[in-house]
Amino acid sequence: MNDDDFVFPAVRGHGLPHLISKGVDPKYYLAEHCGKSTGSCGGVSTYHNIDTEHGFFGLAGTLGTGFPISVGYGMTSKWNGKQQVVVSCFGDGTSNRGTLHESFLMAANWKLPIVWVCENNQLSMYVPVKDHHPVENIADLAFGYGMPGEVVDGQDVVAVAKAVDKAVARARAGEGPSLIECKTERFVTHSIGLPDRIDLEDRTKDDYVELKKRDPVVLFQEKLLKEGVLTQKEMERIDQEIAVEIDAAEAFADAGSPPDPSVLDDYLYAK
Amino acid sequence: MREIQYHKAINEAFIEEMERDETVYLMGESLRGANYPHSEGLAKRFGDQRVLDTPICEAAFCGAAVASAMTGYRPIVDLMFIDFMYTAADEILLKAPQWRFMHGGKVNVPVVFMGAAGGGMKLANEHSQIPSSIILHSPGIKLAVPSTPYDAKGLMKTAIRDNNPVMYFWHKQLMAVTGEVPEEDYTIPFGVADVKREGTDVTVVAYSYMVQLALEVAKKLEGEISVEVVDPRTLEPFDLDAVLKSVEKTNRLVIVDEDTERCSFASELAAQVVDKGFTLLDEPIKRVCAGNYPIPGGYMEQHVLPSVEKIEAAIRSVAV
Ligand SMILES: Cc1ncc(C[n+]2csc(CCOP(=O)(O)OP(=O)(O)O)c2C)c(N)n1
Repeated sequence: MNDDDFVFPAVRGHGLPHLISKGVDPKYYLAEHCGKSTGSCGGVSTYHNIDTEHGFFGLAGTLGTGFPISVGYGMTSKWNGKQQVVVSCFGDGTSNRGTLHESFLMAANWKLPIVWVCENNQLSMYVPVKDHHPVENIADLAFGYGMPGEVVDGQDVVAVAKAVDKAVARARAGEGPSLIECKTERFVTHSIGLPDRIDLEDRTKDDYVELKKRDPVVLFQEKLLKEGVLTQKEMERIDQEIAVEIDAAEAFADAGSPPDPSVLDDYLYAK
Repeated sequence: MREIQYHKAINEAFIEEMERDETVYLMGESLRGANYPHSEGLAKRFGDQRVLDTPICEAAFCGAAVASAMTGYRPIVDLMFIDFMYTAADEILLKAPQWRFMHGGKVNVPVVFMGAAGGGMKLANEHSQIPSSIILHSPGIKLAVPSTPYDAKGLMKTAIRDNNPVMYFWHKQLMAVTGEVPEEDYTIPFGVADVKREGTDVTVVAYSYMVQLALEVAKKLEGEISVEVVDPRTLEPFDLDAVLKSVEKTNRLVIVDEDTERCSFASELAAQVVDKGFTLLDEPIKRVCAGNYPIPGGYMEQHVLPSVEKIEAAIRSVAV
């Protein structure tokens, strides 16, 4: 993807993985969560995030917002001659929203350059996917709108990259939208402080042990080692660099101060 | 009398009404796993025919509830955060309230919509609103806004038994508040205000969590200014007489409303009091509401929402 390609992040992580994947410094994200004026939204939003240079024009708290918003990004991409594409991410639960269908329809009708990416972690809060979606694959929704729908192993970083690459190329070539469903897992509770439950049952320690065996980061590390792309040492260096970056982001967030109340008027209407 | 928490009071209302009337059922997202404690234990007790976990399809399940209500059932629809009602605005604001009227009164729509309202948790605009004015602007739906565990239970039971659509806001800041709740069956009639504290100098009308803030200020001003706190408990129907009666005594009125000030319930009540009780007033009516901004998250939230400081200042400004 290019810097100016649009991304609508999925709600999990409030867009952090999506921001990082486009090279955005996470310190603005963290400062925003800490309510500091140095945050990406000036500290008024808690969890919304924005980085227009990198194609992020916002995140919503009401799920399903991303579908129509992405249609708009797609229209801009199609009209402005800049060859941009849109990658629009959402959870399995979010796929329930009616806005998905309206947006899939418009995007398909107008052949908009959108890659719809469903991050299916099998859970919508406490509701397992089998109880909120009637068929095995959410990707099958694509066929009703005449777009390709592909299922990939979401724990396999390379497989996801390949599928997205293909769909991005198709979108950029003007051939219209596609849908990719990445099968993955939720490793933690829905939200910190809540029980981690599937329907009526709390998940157990053993469940986590099983889940962690398929951690995509670990699997990818093993693959890189095995194929000789990176050595153990190089891997450790990367881990250290990450720790330094996280520390720096924390320090940046700590150093910021809360916004001045005068921003309320500045932010309400454009001059 | 025993004391229980606000969320437990709601939970008891569900259990008692679901046992009393088998057409009552609960529908919403992650209710079986109890994402909020008011649905704890219900799935085990009543089974999955009466505690339904829906997909994230607000428009569909709110619309379905309207039809289900018309055709013999009494659905309670839990929207989780009330802010999500905007995604089902047609169903909640046009269909539920207006279907009966538009069809010549031939059908009833006994549905309860409920959701977590209000701020104070720094969750920003899409998880912090208490959109009373929007409900009040849609004649045909009632609005219950309990401020105590006692009211929470009694109003929920009345809401479930009412033959009309009812919107029920429970407040996140009240969830763990405890208060006296009798063990025996009781209901609270809609449209009957409760004087939460008697006083002679200034009338404060407040609802939901704002009642607690008003009581805090009233206590603080004890000995200096005698504040009467009137809690309408439902905003539609609304007990205007109770407010006029109080203002007759105090001649001063402060209205505390956590909703956005412009076109708010507070504005509406001010207009009604001017209309019906102009001669009772010695001072201008003061409104303490959320400022005319989206509700920000983080530290900025406090600059927009009402607070004890703002309520105190308003009371002092009229208590000359
Ligand atoms: C319109 C709307 N309805 C309900 C919610 C409450 N909610 C927040 S996250 C969530 C589950 C989302 O599941 P999914 O899309 O699969 O993402 P995941 O959390 O699994 O990453 C729900 C129901 C919401 N934020 N917006």
